[in-house]
Amino acid sequence: MIANLRVIRTTFELDLKQQAVDLFMIFGVVIQPLLIAIMAIYMLLERDASRGIYVVVGSGMTGLWTSLLFRGAFNINAERFMGTLEGIVASPSALATVVIGKTLASVTLSLLSMIFSYGLASLVFRLPLSVAQPVPFLLSLLVMVPTFIAFGLLISPLMAVNLSLSGWVNALEYPMYILGGFLFPILLLPGWSNPLSYVLAPYWAARVLHATSSGVATPADVLLSWAMMLLLGILYIAASYRLFKVVLRRARVDATLSLM
Amino acid sequence: MNAIEVRDLRRVFRATIGTIRRRTKEVVAVDGISFDVRDGELFGLLGPNGAGKTTTVKMLTTLLIPTGGTATILGHDVVQGAGSIRPRIGFIFGGERGLYWRLSAKDNLRYFADLYHMDPDIAKRRLPELLELVGLTGREDEKVEGYSRGMRQRLHVARCLLHDPQVLFLDEPTMGLDPVGARELRQVIQNLVSQDKTVFLTTHYMFEADALCERVAVINHGQIVALDSPEGLKGHVEDLSVIEVEVFGIAPAMVDALRQMADVDTVSVEDRDQKQSLRIHSPLGSAIVPQIMQRLDGNGARVGRVTVREPTLEDAYVRLVGGEV
Repeated sequence: MIANLRVIRTTFELDLKQQAVDLFMIFGVVIQPLLIAIMAIYMLLERDASRGIYVVVGSGMTGLWTSLLFRGAFNINAERFMGTLEGIVASPSALATVVIGKTLASVTLSLLSMIFSYGLASLVFRLPLSVAQPVPFLLSLLVMVPTFIAFGLLISPLMAVNLSLSGWVNALEYPMYILGGFLFPILLLPGWSNPLSYVLAPYWAARVLHATSSGVATPADVLLSWAMMLLLGILYIAASYRLFKVVLRRARVDATLSLM
Repeated sequence: MNAIEVRDLRRVFRATIGTIRRRTKEVVAVDGISFDVRDGELFGLLGPNGAGKTTTVKMLTTLLIPTGGTATILGHDVVQGAGSIRPRIGFIFGGERGLYWRLSAKDNLRYFADLYHMDPDIAKRRLPELLELVGLTGREDEKVEGYSRGMRQRLHVARCLLHDPQVLFLDEPTMGLDPVGARELRQVIQNLVSQDKTVFLTTHYMFEADALCERVAVINHGQIVALDSPEGLKGHVEDLSVIEVEVFGIAPAMVDALRQMADVDTVSVEDRDQKQSLRIHSPLGSAIVPQIMQRLDGNGARVGRVTVREPTLEDAYVRLVGGEV
């Protein structure tokens, strides 16, 4: 157990080091959320400037999702391209442990998206920004982190099953912005799409963060979102456990652990 | 006791070819090989590129599931007992990949120490020792992307030895190294055996196998064509002489024509800048030279120096793999 925690910690630390100099991640975590925030702020200024915090949370969530999706999708494949996947698989550590460390690094780095968006709205656009229910908001952020790690655990083996699947990553980026209710409520979407949102942990995270930051969250709302995040997180972990087994077995059969 | 036992090991790869009419093509990379490696032995697997060396190592290191046959490492099956094998083995695959280039050598080693669940205090003590062993002391904080090929290969050695494995798999470890670097690495490998490690070495350099290995298996087209001590392998060419002919721009058809000659055992070609060196094995020795010259002259080949000499170990290898070097 302690040895596994050490693997997670070291993976987290070293992956953070590598991601910090990765230009693509800098774009996904800093530049793209800022562009989205600028666009959303201009749309918002026309209507209701008091909802600046909604834009900050929403654009932060876009950065978080982009980072999680792309890093999740390429976590295993990047190791394969570097030739390090074999070293990891042949070690006594489980590949999932390494992916947890990597996803934790992605989530941590992408929380910066929210801070950058906050700084932009506050310092550049001088929007009044205050989190109405700070304690539930911060607790919701804390609940969100393990849920997002569970989501990352699901994405990584899924994309590693088949290299061609990773080409679909781009197509998955924007639908989550919409289905997750990052920038506008899903109530504006057709009713048939709502169940899709309900099985996505990022939707529940966005819902509770928006509600607590805007001050409209009731205790029941908050508890429901936390419960859904945790429940979905458990389901994602259970599914990913099976997926990792399938992926590793298939990779050893199909000789895809390395680019031989 | 045997550290490695291999019985009828076989691996087939399937590749899909064609765009519209897709077909599956099967390639037999390893074709029913069997051998044992004794505990503490330095065993060599020698063969030309594409002979099945790397596929064999990948199956033995649990990274590839065999299509048929069995293999055990320290008594554990490579498929069912992979979890028991992994902490006890180390491996190096030739080439520069397999390291984190954006991290320092120290961070790379620290990471692999954690992956192998090493006690942090032991890892802390072992890191400087290994860096010293592979000659990277003083460079450990530099990023790997700034390292030369030889330095990366030496870092691979340190990574492989980090968790003190009982069995080491070294797949063409000196590939791409300069002669001095390769010699230093061979010295490191020799020292490993004196520490009671079992070493499984693959190479396509006969002299390397000769210098290091107690026994050598020669593999070609996925099959073991000879397994003996280096001295024993020399016996395969005792009856032959070697005729080396320097030619300029010889056509493949001409080489084939030489192979068809009576009393010619094998013909191999080595490219050397503008010219090629033909190595012809024949039991007739210098007596066959006039026939060879006549065949070459008749086809308009420009011929340079011709020498006849006694066979070496490398010639034994060339004969065993049918000139495919």
